[in-house]
Amino acid sequence: MKIKKWLSNLPMWLYGCMLLPLLAFGLSKQGTSYFSVLDIPRIWTDEAMKDWELPNSNPAYSAQPVTEEFYYNLPERVIYKTYPVYHPDHEPEGYWDWLHEQEAEIVFDESNLITEEDWIKAGELLFDYPIDTLGAVINIQHVRNPEFYSSTGMPLTPEGIMPFAQWVVAGKGKVYLGNLSCAMCHTRVMDDGSLLKGAQGNWPGDKAFAFALESDGVSETGVQGITNILFGSAFVEGDPHGKLMASGRESILEAYKAVPEGAFGRQGTSILYPPQAPNLIGVKDRKYLDHGGLGQHRNIEDMMRYIAMNQALDFLNFYGDYNSLGLTKERLNNGQPIFFPGTYDRHSEAQLYAIAKYVYSLTPPENPYKPSAVSERGKIIFAEQGCVTCHTPPLFTNNKLTPADGFEVPDAHYDKYDIFDISVGTDPGYTLKTRRGTGYYKIPSLLGLWYRGPFLHDASLAKLEDLFDPTRLKDDYVPTAFKPHDVKTKAVKGHEFGMELNEMDKKALIAYLLTL
Amino acid sequence: MDIGYLNIVVAPWRSSRNHCDRCENPAFRNEKCNLWRELKFIALLLFLFFPLFLSAQTFKPENPIQFKIKNAGITVDGTISDWEVEVDFDSKKLDQSSIRGKANPESIQTGIKLRDKHLHGREYFHIQKFPSISLESKSFKAKGKNAFVGIFELQIRDVKREVEIPFTLSQTGKQQKFKGEFVIDRLDFGLGEKSLVLSDEVRIFVEF
Repeated sequence: MKIKKWLSNLPMWLYGCMLLPLLAFGLSKQGTSYFSVLDIPRIWTDEAMKDWELPNSNPAYSAQPVTEEFYYNLPERVIYKTYPVYHPDHEPEGYWDWLHEQEAEIVFDESNLITEEDWIKAGELLFDYPIDTLGAVINIQHVRNPEFYSSTGMPLTPEGIMPFAQWVVAGKGKVYLGNLSCAMCHTRVMDDGSLLKGAQGNWPGDKAFAFALESDGVSETGVQGITNILFGSAFVEGDPHGKLMASGRESILEAYKAVPEGAFGRQGTSILYPPQAPNLIGVKDRKYLDHGGLGQHRNIEDMMRYIAMNQALDFLNFYGDYNSLGLTKERLNNGQPIFFPGTYDRHSEAQLYAIAKYVYSLTPPENPYKPSAVSERGKIIFAEQGCVTCHTPPLFTNNKLTPADGFEVPDAHYDKYDIFDISVGTDPGYTLKTRRGTGYYKIPSLLGLWYRGPFLHDASLAKLEDLFDPTRLKDDYVPTAFKPHDVKTKAVKGHEFGMELNEMDKKALIAYLLTL
Repeated sequence: MDIGYLNIVVAPWRSSRNHCDRCENPAFRNEKCNLWRELKFIALLLFLFFPLFLSAQTFKPENPIQFKIKNAGITVDGTISDWEVEVDFDSKKLDQSSIRGKANPESIQTGIKLRDKHLHGREYFHIQKFPSISLESKSFKAKGKNAFVGIFELQIRDVKREVEIPFTLSQTGKQQKFKGEFVIDRLDFGLGEKSLVLSDEVRIFVEF
């Protein structure tokens, strides 16, 4: 009571002084931070773009991105509210008509973003937002056709939602199918039907594209043309994509169909050497992006650059004098718009920042594989077999680049990049024979193996057990996941570790790997 | 050409020749070289230093150099099998004794071939640029019966550092058997980089 009385006698100005520290340090709860749009860096500067990416394995054909002036002359994207795409048999009654009655709603407004949580939430919205409504991969006719789902083995949620594309409503009656969101390749429908955003996706994109080309009756010239735009790399030794193009329509379509879910021949890569869809959970800690380590990842600006570049602006890159859209440098820079998906507008810096923040915030779900006596034995085997050298805990990668067979590391790279200077002998096709190839492969993290697959950079092995199966090294092996369209068997070479272990030890090692 | 520690063996001869009167006396400078005199001079040097050549023995030990390093909590055992030593050791004349060794890092084995290949590379031994490891004694001290401590200069890659190696000697007749063990910090010699899982300390065992 005495204290209460004493406090009541204090002058008001003293109470005011007590509040000053709060005013100085904020009234927020701990952990909440505030961010000003003004703090967002300008990412596409000529200076920054000069050496952000690693050179091509043939440096004379390293990517030349569009200039800073060109980039910032592109209009910023408007982000509309999107709606889920249902399998036609699962679509709620009246849904299609209802969609056509909706008004456009702009849902990204950076002036409303104040806290870190606001930015992450906006980033998720943008992660799911398709940047294309021209039908870059699939269109309305395809997704409203039940055959599309059965012929591609399309994963669906229990509600019958196909989560890899969205309906974009740009105005009353203006309902477009949206393609090319981040979520398209980086969303996984789990066995129980739940969605795991940011994981190695299981969108059967190349099968879907083959369905689109076939069902639309695209001519041989058309199929060759779009395939060249996506993967053409006439400058690489042997020009394997030129040979694919020359092999004709049916053969090209078979090449698309051969790419399994969990891999995707995105632009600049290959359907002959398709990259495994990367797992973005934990990407904040990776030093390089892309399987070939094409993009350096030194800070959030690098992540923003990667998002900007890889959401289709790399179609405008020149490789020497080669551009896959057939552009000349004069045409590119004459001020006329280029109407190709993803190249006529751009994300704003705030949008890129929000996506990067969201991607950085991704965390894995609870791992159902708990440590056990068997997995603990596997942990010892993991160390004994020397796995830790490359897959170093706690990230389970040493974050380095390993040269592929056939690539000689230039001396200057040792000081510039993180090089682990031996090859593990995996297929060098992706990194030596594509526009995105650097001559290296990024040493992957093993975190989250339990929800991932297929494995290896070319997604050639369906299960971890296959990795330790010595028969995979033989020419008569049938790869359990990706197998090129024009062969019946193929050895899956390289990364020949743990193959001599006995069955018990292999099981223990796999049990450990699944706990990561 | 790098002749490694052999350079050290021929050094006394070079030193004597560099300071011979004949070379330094101007009276001799213009005199035509007399082959016979040269031969006699070399013969004399050989005679004088014959005991030194006789007592220093170069041989390839049977046992490889062994090392142990902790990696992710597991002790990795490795060997370097291609090595040789030159020993001139008299426990009663420690100040005149010497031990030199030379090892070929290409012969490193850790049980995993790809790891060995990695150890050959730039990050570790960089064998293309530094094809040998050398060890040369600087001084010895007795530490009890048949026990000694030697100060050696160890060169790995282009780094030379002094290391202290305690060792034992068991002698049967003229046959000497040495056994030593020491620890180095691999980072001192530019072997790899700081790691969360790989220990800095490497324990090395030599027996010959």
